[in-house]
Amino acid sequence: MKENQQLPGDPQVSALLREARVSPPSLPPRFQQNVWRRIEDAEAPAKSESWLDALANLILRPRFALAAAAVMLLAGVSAGTMEGRQMARNDAQMNYLASVAPQFVR
Amino acid sequence: MNRSLVILFGALALGAAIFAGSYFTARQTTMVCCTKPADSLSWLRTEFHLSDADMARVRELHEGYLPKCGEICTKIAAKKSELAAALGSGTNITAEAQVKMNELAALRAQCQAQMLQHFIAVSQAMPPAQGQRYLAEMKRLTLGTNEEMEQSMSGETDHEHHH
Repeated sequence: MKENQQLPGDPQVSALLREARVSPPSLPPRFQQNVWRRIEDAEAPAKSESWLDALANLILRPRFALAAAAVMLLAGVSAGTMEGRQMARNDAQMNYLASVAPQFVR
Repeated sequence: MNRSLVILFGALALGAAIFAGSYFTARQTTMVCCTKPADSLSWLRTEFHLSDADMARVRELHEGYLPKCGEICTKIAAKKSELAAALGSGTNITAEAQVKMNELAALRAQCQAQMLQHFIAVSQAMPPAQGQRYLAEMKRLTLGTNEEMEQSMSGETDHEHHH
């Protein structure tokens, strides 16, 4: 056992340690410059979007889209029901009129 | 094309489709549900809020009026045939055709008077306020139909008769 043990000052060990030392990874070109640019971008105030983009973003929100669809559905049902009632009323009125008034007075 | 515009137009189209679909479905459903073609008097009940007793009186008047109306309509149809025969294929209005036209007009006036008399009787079988409304509506529907044409032919418009 003693024969295999080597002292810390052993030149062979030192050589091996030097070889085993990991070389630092190679950085991409202009790495530092890019890092600073990204930091500056993150700190800069958000770029203002146009009203059209804002509206599109609003439309894409699920809660807004669902609410708008519900409003359109309710409006359609209400208008259709009113119109249907009016048409049914007119039909019934014409039905009565046809039974009491000859064609030439209508 | 701009992405925001596509989203906006897509949303508008979808909204319009939802509105149109629900509108037509509701309209058709309401028409099917509310139409009662079996009874020609159903309109009176709903429009003038008549009770069963009111409806019984109105129905009695209605059923009494129909044969009289049918009888005079048969006379009118016969007179129209006579007039057509008197006019024939000629280009002049003969004295006989003129007589037939006068008789036809008299029958029509008689029919109209009988109809108005029936409307008055029905209006009196209803509660007073509803009766007045019914009579006004019937006059508007049966007497007002030719007013537009008569006004357009009278001096109230630019049209002039050159005698």
